[in-house]
Amino acid sequence: MTENNIHPPQWPLKFLRFFVKKEYLEEIEGDMEELFYDNVEKFSYRKARRMYSVEMLKLLRPILLKNFEFIQNINPSPMFRNYSKTSIRSLMKNPLTSFINIFGLAVAIGICLVVYSFLKLDYSTDRFHENKKEVFLITYFGNIDGTVQQSGLTPRPLGEMLKEDFTHIKKVCRVEDGNVVMKYDDNVFHERVRYTDPEFLEMFTFPLKWGTANTLTDINSIILSEDMSIKYFGTENPIGKDLLIKFSEHEGKAFKVTGVAQAFPKAHVIDFNFLINFENLRIANPNYDVHNWSEFLQATLIQVDNHEYLKHIEKGMDKYRLLQNEAQHDWAISSFAFEPLETLHERSGFIRDDISGDDNREGRIGMPIIAIFMLALACFNYINIAIVSAAKRLKEIGVRKVIGANRSRVIIQFLSENIVVTFFALILGFALGALIFIPWFTQFSGWQLEVSLLDTNLWIFLTALLFFTGIVSGLYPAFYISKFEVVNIFKGSVQFGKKNPLTKIFLGIQLVLACITITAAVVLTQNNTFQYNQSWGYNQKEALYATVPDYTAFEKLNNVFAQDPDVLSISGSKDHLGKNISTAIVHVPPDHQYEVNQLSVDANYFETMGLELKEGRFFKEDSENDKHAVVVNELLVSNLKLKNAIGAQFEIDSIRYEIIGVLKEFHTDDFFHKIKPTLFVVANKSEYAYLSMNVRPGAKKKINSKLQAEWAKLFPEIPFQGGHQEDVWTLYFFSVDRSEQFTMVIAFIAVLLACLGLYGLVTLNVSGRVREFSIRKTLGAGLKNITAIIVKQYIGLTTVALIIGAPISYFFTKAYLNMLFAYPMPMSLNGIVISLIILILVLLAVVSTQVRKVLKSNPVDGLKVE
Amino acid sequence: MKKTKLGEFEELVLLTVAALQQDAYGVEIKRELETRVKEKLSVGSIQSALKRMEEKGFLTSEFGDATLKRGGKRKRIYTTTSYAHKVLSEMKEIRAGLWDSMPKLAYELKAI
Repeated sequence: MTENNIHPPQWPLKFLRFFVKKEYLEEIEGDMEELFYDNVEKFSYRKARRMYSVEMLKLLRPILLKNFEFIQNINPSPMFRNYSKTSIRSLMKNPLTSFINIFGLAVAIGICLVVYSFLKLDYSTDRFHENKKEVFLITYFGNIDGTVQQSGLTPRPLGEMLKEDFTHIKKVCRVEDGNVVMKYDDNVFHERVRYTDPEFLEMFTFPLKWGTANTLTDINSIILSEDMSIKYFGTENPIGKDLLIKFSEHEGKAFKVTGVAQAFPKAHVIDFNFLINFENLRIANPNYDVHNWSEFLQATLIQVDNHEYLKHIEKGMDKYRLLQNEAQHDWAISSFAFEPLETLHERSGFIRDDISGDDNREGRIGMPIIAIFMLALACFNYINIAIVSAAKRLKEIGVRKVIGANRSRVIIQFLSENIVVTFFALILGFALGALIFIPWFTQFSGWQLEVSLLDTNLWIFLTALLFFTGIVSGLYPAFYISKFEVVNIFKGSVQFGKKNPLTKIFLGIQLVLACITITAAVVLTQNNTFQYNQSWGYNQKEALYATVPDYTAFEKLNNVFAQDPDVLSISGSKDHLGKNISTAIVHVPPDHQYEVNQLSVDANYFETMGLELKEGRFFKEDSENDKHAVVVNELLVSNLKLKNAIGAQFEIDSIRYEIIGVLKEFHTDDFFHKIKPTLFVVANKSEYAYLSMNVRPGAKKKINSKLQAEWAKLFPEIPFQGGHQEDVWTLYFFSVDRSEQFTMVIAFIAVLLACLGLYGLVTLNVSGRVREFSIRKTLGAGLKNITAIIVKQYIGLTTVALIIGAPISYFFTKAYLNMLFAYPMPMSLNGIVISLIILILVLLAVVSTQVRKVLKSNPVDGLKVE
Repeated sequence: MKKTKLGEFEELVLLTVAALQQDAYGVEIKRELETRVKEKLSVGSIQSALKRMEEKGFLTSEFGDATLKRGGKRKRIYTTTSYAHKVLSEMKEIRAGLWDSMPKLAYELKAI
């Protein structure tokens, strides 16, 4: 290496020259170079170069650095103090527009807060369990109706087998639910209990308020949720008390309360009312066979320490697959899969029958969209008003520019001003959200939303929202306003805000959005009425039903009511429309399989429930032949592509059935759901669980009270369950009402925001033209004239907005209805027309306030201004 | 003492400048100080200390001669001001005073 080749690296030097003060450069460069050659002698060339670079970086110290212009120029604190002062002054000067801005943004922010808490609740659901990463729900993939679906059910013996076969599995717990009658003192209630293994409380984190968790190993103990403890025992500690559970009319057993859980966190789906040992299932149902591979269990969960084991276990589970598929052919399992508890709720929309059910997929998508809509509306308001009202502040901007503010300074001023406004809006919006919107939303949706001030993510979200809203709404006005030349401002030749096309576009978008939401609200209201009156395809109005524990109970009731002249017919059944529908797998030769609804009923059922026959016949009473007969609905016939339905045959559970009748179409479920292929078979008398009655028109109230009175006499130990058939769908109509209400509120807010925006614009416009109007008035302009002048400005815009808005609203609302309902109201145009009329009326009302103001004002005052 | 704060490291650099006299320029100060404190020092730390003390009026500087090793760039020779000498000797006195009072204090403490 020659002397010439040895030199320090170049880039750090350039770097240095850029950053370090000029007057120091020569000295420092020299020092560095001298040091470098010293180092070259001592160490390797490479190391010297490296040391040189490192030393260069270490030279970046404040005292040595150049004073860059931006650093030199900014002395930010007085500047921002001045900005906030001017922004507060300008806010105070125009209380109306400030109110519109702040209130509009606040409403939007309040809605954002609701959406945030909703998403947070949804996300955190069932994530409070300490073992959430180690606990897995066993699911399987099965071929159902030709499509592969994941199911949360598990074959019954699986849990026990797993425990025996895999030492890696720390804990296994099985979960099964059952309906029982619970008795304490004289209180009797129908309840749902959870049969489970003692590990349940170890795998899930449900701390106990009283008692001990491991008592669940005792077959005679019961653990209550806090709600249930209060329901039965009030506030006192119930440990040691006896609860009587009646599994059926004759099977009962006393349980000792050994634990009460603390109140569950709000964000949960998996919970329990009562926990009892899994072994009790044998008492509840003597025929319950834990070793039956063809039967399924609600859920089986396992806990493993290490995820590595899972693959191993999954491989080992193949033998179960064979065992299960041998035992029954209907639900062929293709593979098992483990769903971690942590993400179970999130994924539950894709898993059939899993215990973390309750799917919010629509909400997850819909809610943020609504929030963005609202925020956009509020920002548009803000932008519009800012642009128009900036005319009043032109002088201020001019002065600022003259005393040396450059464009970027003016932009910063406007943006920071905006952030101040948004900050006020944020505070108000937070209050609105936390005190009004969230309680309202919680009350009507049932989702337990809450705002916790300790939630750091909330603060991050709010700050992000503050800057996002502040900057998005302020950026355009800031750029627009700062653009003007000082000279033109002072000359007065700037025509400001009046002809800005963007103002019109924004107002137009607002009107379109308002149009969409108002149409949705109107159409949903119409749809609501439609849903109430839609025919179910069977007797909804004049039927009564009651849940019966067994056939003897059915007989007793039947004897009482058979003589009643108001009762037209009585029938017993295992399943009941709207209450309980089973499923069955239909095998059609050679090897087609279909999943269908199955109802086991008696011969009277069709008449009682008013189901109408299309062809063929109903069951005959006590006919041996009809045990292999089915009555089907039209959809099943068309799905199976049967040409001659009557007489066609297929197999269910290896038993051959023949179709004897086809029913006219009726709704097997509510109108949210599509009609499913359905068949009726003759019920075994021992299986009767429902009694249904068709009563003479007008007599249903009387018979219903008689039914309850007779029930109380016959079965004092069992609470009555039943009533009017139409009440079966209370929940359905409740959720129909709910979506209507929700849409109405959203529409109201959207229209309110649009109106506020329009109001602000019109007001500014009118107040800027006071002199013009005064002169017109003195020259004799009347109501017609003034109205025409004001309305003319907006009429074109509104027309265009509505022409664009109407078809969008139509298709949007249609899509929305179709998403919600399987059987929506057929869309007609009158919904759109009604909403357009409402919107136009509201807009006219807004404009008329200003017209009135102009008309009432004294033209002399208007002319005297300045 | 009160008015102008002299940091520990600054004081060391200042003393080195005073000791080196005519040779007191960046790299030389660094070398001298490194051998005395037995620790690697960066050019940046020395330079910023020098510049800070120049601002505070402890040092003045002027360009010296250039060498080939420095790529023809001149050295900047630092000299201490009389003010610096005053402050340095004040500090020495304060320290000496404190050192003197130490054994006595320790003895008294023991007595308690």
